[in-house]
This record gives sequence, C-alpha cells and structure tokens, in this order.
Amino acid sequence: MNHKIKSLVLSLAIIAIFAASFVLPVAVFAQEERKPLFVGAWPYLLPPQGHFNTFVTNALTFGIYHQMIQEPLALYFWANLSYIPWLATDWKVEGDYFVVHLRDGVTFHDGTPFTAKDVACTWQIHYMLNHPIYQYIDKVEVVDDHTVRFHIIKASPVLIRYILREPVRPYSTYKEYCDKVAQLWAQGKGPASDEMKQLAAEFRNFRPDKYIGTGPFMWTGEITEAEVWFKFYENYWNKDRVKFRWLKLINGETPQVTPHVLAKEVDYATHGFPPATEKQFIELGIRIIRPPIYSGPCLYFNMKIWPLNEVWFRRAIAYAINKTENAWVSLGLSAKKLPLMSGLPLEFEEPWLYPETRAKLNPYNYDPQKAAQILEEHGFTKGPDGFWRYPNGTVVHFELSFPAEYADWSAAAQNVAEQLTAFGIKITPRAVTFTQHPQEVLDGNFQLAIRHWGGGANPHPYFSFYADFIYWNQKAAGIGEGRPGISFPLEQDTECCGHVNIKELVFACAEGFDVEKQKEIVNKLALIYNELLPGVPLWERYGNNPSLDGVRVTGWPPDDDPIYKNPPYGDAFVVFMLLTGYGLKPTPQNMPTPPGPAGPDITMIAVILIIALVVIAVGIYYMKKK
Amino acid sequence: MSFKSVVGKIYRNFLVRRILRAFGVIFVTSTLTFFIIRLMPSNPIEIFINQMMAAYGMSYQDAKALALALFTIDLDKPLHQQYIEYLINLFQGNLGRSISISPGTPVMDIILAFLPWTLFSVSISILASFVLGVITGIIAAYRRGGLFDKVMSTFAAIISAIPGYLIGILIIVFIGVQYGLINYMRGAYSAGIRPGFNLQFISDVFLHLAAPFATYVLSTFGGWMLSMKASTISTLGEDYVTVAKAKGLPESRIRTQYVGRNAILPLFTSLAIQLGFIFGGSVLIENIFVYRGVGRLLWSSINARDYTVMQAVFLIITISVVVSNLLADLIYGLIDPRVRVGE
Repeated sequence: MNHKIKSLVLSLAIIAIFAASFVLPVAVFAQEERKPLFVGAWPYLLPPQGHFNTFVTNALTFGIYHQMIQEPLALYFWANLSYIPWLATDWKVEGDYFVVHLRDGVTFHDGTPFTAKDVACTWQIHYMLNHPIYQYIDKVEVVDDHTVRFHIIKASPVLIRYILREPVRPYSTYKEYCDKVAQLWAQGKGPASDEMKQLAAEFRNFRPDKYIGTGPFMWTGEITEAEVWFKFYENYWNKDRVKFRWLKLINGETPQVTPHVLAKEVDYATHGFPPATEKQFIELGIRIIRPPIYSGPCLYFNMKIWPLNEVWFRRAIAYAINKTENAWVSLGLSAKKLPLMSGLPLEFEEPWLYPETRAKLNPYNYDPQKAAQILEEHGFTKGPDGFWRYPNGTVVHFELSFPAEYADWSAAAQNVAEQLTAFGIKITPRAVTFTQHPQEVLDGNFQLAIRHWGGGANPHPYFSFYADFIYWNQKAAGIGEGRPGISFPLEQDTECCGHVNIKELVFACAEGFDVEKQKEIVNKLALIYNELLPGVPLWERYGNNPSLDGVRVTGWPPDDDPIYKNPPYGDAFVVFMLLTGYGLKPTPQNMPTPPGPAGPDITMIAVILIIALVVIAVGIYYMKKK
Repeated sequence: MSFKSVVGKIYRNFLVRRILRAFGVIFVTSTLTFFIIRLMPSNPIEIFINQMMAAYGMSYQDAKALALALFTIDLDKPLHQQYIEYLINLFQGNLGRSISISPGTPVMDIILAFLPWTLFSVSISILASFVLGVITGIIAAYRRGGLFDKVMSTFAAIISAIPGYLIGILIIVFIGVQYGLINYMRGAYSAGIRPGFNLQFISDVFLHLAAPFATYVLSTFGGWMLSMKASTISTLGEDYVTVAKAKGLPESRIRTQYVGRNAILPLFTSLAIQLGFIFGGSVLIENIFVYRGVGRLLWSSINARDYTVMQAVFLIITISVVVSNLLADLIYGLIDPRVRVGE
C-alpha cells in the first residue's frame, strides 16, 4: 500500500510540474492583449550575429519589413510605374541637380524630427561604403531642413530609384560617422582613400544600441530565435492609415515557416513553397497570391563549345523544349511560359515594347519537327538509337548543371534533360551546390546551365537586359574580374538591327530621363535577344505566397487587383498595403476587446489548483511514511 | 636516477600518455579542419557578391566593391601565412573574429551566446535517454521473452531506425500544427518573457525544451535500451552471477552489484563520446525547432562560409570529444583495473 501511494505521489508530482510548465507562460501572455496584430515571416539572425547597423551585413533589417521601421522617401507602384510620395513630398530635376523636398512634421521613434540632415547622412554613409549610386551623382547637399539635393554626373532613372527607395536612417544614430565622412569628402577624399577605408573598417564594427526610424512600427526588444515583435509608434505621421498596432515576424526559411502557415499562425509569407505544400495550404483554405517575380530560370549555353555557339543550334534547342510543360512540372500555377521571349518579363512587354516589335518576336513555341529540320539542315542525323549525331557521326551529348538546392530550378533542369533526351540530344543533369554553381558558370566550367534571366524587383528593363546579356558574360562585357561565363560575343551582325554593340545598348537604355528614347533602345535589345538567344528563358516565376484571410487579417484584394503587379520582395505589395492602409484590415476578432467586468482568471485558478495538488500529495506521502 | 629514465617513467605513466595523445589529436584535427574548410567551394566574399547581384541587380564590380568595404578578411594572403596566424592566435586563446555571419564580433562572444543553450538541451536529453534506456534494457533482459521485452524491444528497434529530424518533423506536424502548440515548439523561450532567474522564465524554457527533448530522447533511447539489454543478457550468463545466486545473495544486490555494474561498462564509452558531442549540438534538430544552439550556429556559419566561426565550433567539438574520451579512459581505468595494468 505504502509503495503504491509513493508511486502515485511521484506520478502526480511529475504530471503537476509538466502541467504547470504549460500553464504558466499562458498565464503570462494572458495579461496583455496584443491586437490588432499582423503576423509575417522573414529569416533573421539573433544578436550578437544580428545587429542594428542597418548599412552592413547581417543587420536586423527584416527584409521587406525594413521599410515599416525605417521608411523610404517614396513608395513605388508597379501597375503604373510611378512613385508615390512618402517621406518626400515632391522631387524634380533642376539643371544638374535632383532636388527632393521632405515632409514636415515627421519624427523618429525617439522623438527627434526628421530633416534633410538624415537623408544626407544616409547617403554619406553610402558614399563611404562605395554605393553604386555614385556612378550617377557626386554630391549630396542639405539646402534647408526640408530640402536636399543631389548633383548629377550621369542622368539615369536608376539614380532616382536608388534615392527614393532607400530607407532613411537617423542622423542621431550615425552622427559620428556622417560628420567624419562629410569632412573627408570635403577634403576630396573618396571611398578609395586610405582615410575613408579606415573609417569604413571602423564602421563595419559599429553596433548602435538603438534601432529607430520614422516608420509605423518600432522595436520592442522582444526577439528570440523563433519570433520578433514590433509595436505601433503612436506619433507616426500617417497614423490614421495604419490599421494594425502590432507586428510579429516568424523567423526562418521555408521548412521552419511551413508549420506556422499550416497552423494558421502566419498571415502572409513570401517564402517559396513546393507545389505539394501549396496544395495543402489551399486544402486548409489558405489563399495563394501569385505576384510576379520578374525573373525565372534560363537555359544558358557555353559558347566556347561548338555547336552551342551557333545561333541555329540554340534555336533548335528552344523549339525542342516544351516550355509550358516545363513550367507546370517545376512550379505548377506559379510558373508561366513567356509568350514572346524578349528577355523581358511578361509584365514589361506591354509598357515597353511597341506593337510592331511584339509582332516581330518569335515565341519559339514547342515544335520538335522544326528543331529536327534545323539540325538536319546542318548535317546532323538521327541514329537508330534515337539520338542525334554530329556530321562526323558522334552522338550529341551535353551535361546540364543546375543549383541542387533550388527545388523549382532543379525540377526545371530535370525536365529539360528528359525532354531533350527524348528529342534525341542526350543530356546528363548534374546538381551542384547552390553556392558553387554560380562560380562554375562564371568560370565557364559548364556546357549547359540553369541560371536566372530578368532583373527581379527592379522596374527598369535595364536590369533585365543586364542579367540577360552581361551578368554571366563578364569577359565579353569587360567587367568584373573578366571571368568567361557564357562567352557570348557582344558585338554581332544581326538580321533585325544590323551590326550592334550590345553592351553599349544595354547601358544606353538606362541613360537620361527621356523614356521614349530609352524605349527605342529597349525595343532594339528585345529584337536582338529574340534573334540571338544568349539563353532560352524557360518560364517566369510567380510567387506562391500564402495569405490567410479571416483569422487576424481580412481585405486581401482580388487576384486581378493592380497592387499585385508589385513584386513580393523589392517593392513588396504587402508592405505597400500595410503602410497605406490599402485593402488589409483586422478581423473583428483581431480588434481589442472592450473593457468589461473582471471575471475569474481560469489560468491562475488552474495554477493554484496544481500547486495545491502537489502540496496535498507531498503531505499524504510524508504522513504515510511516518 | 638518470634523466632518461625519469622521462621514460613519466611517459609510461597511464595518465600522462593519455593526455599527450589527446593534445596530439586536437592539434592534428584542428590543422586538418583549417585546411579542409578552405578547400570548400566558394568563400564568404563570393557568397556576399552573389547575394548582392541577385537581390539588388548590382553589377559584379559594384557588389565586389561593396564586399571589400564591408569585410575585413584578406583571402588573398598565402595559405601557410593564414595558418601560422591561426595557430598563434589559438595559442593565445584568441579564436578570431567572425568574417561573415557577424563581421567583427569576437567568435568567443558568439559561441558563448549559443553554447549554454546547447549544453542545457543536449545534456539533459542525452542523460535522460541514457538512464531511460539503461533501466528499460535491464528490465527487458530480466523479463526476456515476456510481453514487456517484446513490446519494448520492437518499439526500440523501430524508433532507433527513424532519423531524429524525421521524428522532429512528425512532432511538429502532428502535435504542433494539429493542436496549435507550434509557438511553444519554436525557439528557446517566448519573445515576451524577460530572461532571468524567475519561475516565469524557467517554466517557459522547459516548455520550449519539451519538443527538442522528446525528439532527442526518442531518437536515441532505442539504441541505449537494445545495447543495455544485450549486455545484461550476456552478463547474466557469467559464472560469477551463477555463483552469487548459488551463494544465496539477495536478488537486488546481484542486480546492481554484479549484473548492472558489469553490464553497463561497454555503454560508458558510447556515453562518453555522446557527452563529447553535447558541445556540438544537433544541427538538424536545432534547425527544425529553431532552437538556439551551437548546431544552428554551425549551420549558418557553413552556409555563409564563415571560416573563423566554423574553425572555432569544430575545435570545440574536437576538444570536448577528446576530453570526454580521455575521461572515459580514466573512469574505465578506475572501474576496471585491468585496463591500467594492461597498459
């Protein structure tokens, strides 16, 4: 009997301790109601790895949500390719200057007013760190408290984007470095000078102890490996527009975030989810939004190898691949075949390409007969084993490398290999770790490779053509370390446009502020791309972003809403909506509960009962023992 | 007594020889680690450049200029020079500064921020798994052929065949997602709780430990149980156990002093090695549960090719495994004097 009681008491005590450990934290959280809340997800590093110096690597910027803390001068609306004034009220080019007028009455989270000094300080730090904007400007001047101007040395829409979309950091935090940079700059010392390099080295180790901006959400200090919390800044200049009072971000990449989405603990995530997971989300009633990424996988050729350097061979390959099938097997509904193969994303074709240009572009629709005809015209023959042979009788065989960790690109590569092998061009797929693969392509250590086309979250075609012609082609472009890459000649005779210098055209398409002049060059480049095919774009990638409606958040606009022209990353549509109050709002259950008469705290009663149970059990045990 | 004979006597000493050997192993391993890490494809600067080019559409020159402004590392220095600097720093107790995951931060600071969590979670889990496995193994051996033995042995065989990360994922999906407990299965503690020596924080830490603890225990318990069962069965057949029984010694004394003590001996070496790995954490399990620990640190440092952090973590794992093996040798020597005599 005594033994049985002893076992019972011990069991009860263990159960009680476990129960208490579950109940106590719940009791703690029950004390504060955090509503209305929006829950997003983004990977970040916890201090000491993560830090508040948002200019250098591993800062706690929280990706797209950075602009909810430190705001830019303007937002960008992709549907009509226009900027929306934010911390800036207006801007214009005046002679050699780009002049920006700033909003009055804006304060940082510590109460200090936002002025031109903060904007200048942001760009002074970037000067020290050799930001690419300094190819286009050479001076930043504070005109008055609410006016700042930039001296232009090379006109380009790129500089406007850099200036208007950069989050503004507070002068109060970076004062010491901004002042030193200004001094050195005034002495004519640039980023390459020893003094500036020394200062930059010090700056890399600078770790501000506070994280402030002008944005609607401010740092609370509540951060763990799992999640981070931000609360609303009550003196926010645009407070009526912002409908949420708390922001929580779940830390992690796709594998860590997936269970949170499945548990409906996340309102929106930008991570790339595999089609099977996406299907599960849909079954649970979670909506999938598919915004354009303005980029995708492309089949590149090493043009040091014959016949990959022959345009007719590349065209044959383009005809031999069923790109619709490739898109579907790789990423389901979030991959779309490009109708025109212009080197530009689908969404750029209408605003940037003339109708006559579009009419001229070859879509390279799936046509294996045409591919076979091209090969036969050049002396290739198909053997009894179904494989094509060179005119000398050797079987045509290539290796296709791709980054192993990118699930959609891997699937695309496997499918290309299967399709081309079925067509008769033997392809051996080779997976390479994602950090090594770009190096191999840049070094020219490949035959066929899958890398990206398109400029991603950059709204000017320049970025797309840079990726298409220059990015993997350093030696021919005379840039970087001159690594051979795809070795695509950038000076060629073309059917569409005669003799062309493609590199010059790519850089020229982003020069000046005359959009019509830029369009002419863009059209020319599209025709050149379509004719010469430096790569075969397989499809354009669209997001598959789970968006939960009805739990904490509601009001996601319908799929055809122009807001979804904004990509999920660069000019993130969700950040646009949260800042401007467009669409998204809290559900009724995500609104603070009105104060009512205090009832019994069930959680605390449970804690007291458990403690009482343990005390009684221990008491019985000692009584029996005696 | 000549100097040579004194040296010879010292060298023949069991303890001295073991310690010297341990130092040798640590030196060789850390040297190999240094070079193997640098043989890995890519480097921190190239990774950063690619990230900048992909994320911001920067040209290679722009991205490289930015990288050179942000990183302090000079990878163009001759390898032997880097190695000599590494050794000098190491002998001064300086593990260097992080190159890429937290540029400029002393590696020791980074490790000290992660190590306590790993020590806490993995040591509790390993010891619990060991104790549970040993007890269950002895019971199964004593009741071999019975229902308990059949059920537990089958369970242990199945569970030890399932990889730990899979058990972790199953726990997340079937318990975390289905029962809405996912927020308690992520991280080492909740975001709103201030760390400190208070009941609220401690209970929250244990609550967050539950899922990784269950994963560690479930994935290792089977191995301990089956080993202990086999070892106990083998010991039960020894002559001295039969003699003890014939002498009419109490069963409890035979179980603990004769069977248990001898049966557990082979498991000590495995336990010692396992305890050594406590310092390395578990890369997969810590990543699945986003649990703060050295394993997660190692994962991020490998991805970012942060050479100094990787070197430091591998060095710590090496030292802890070597030291725990050394301790196992010494303890084994105490438990079984034949080991010392044999040497």
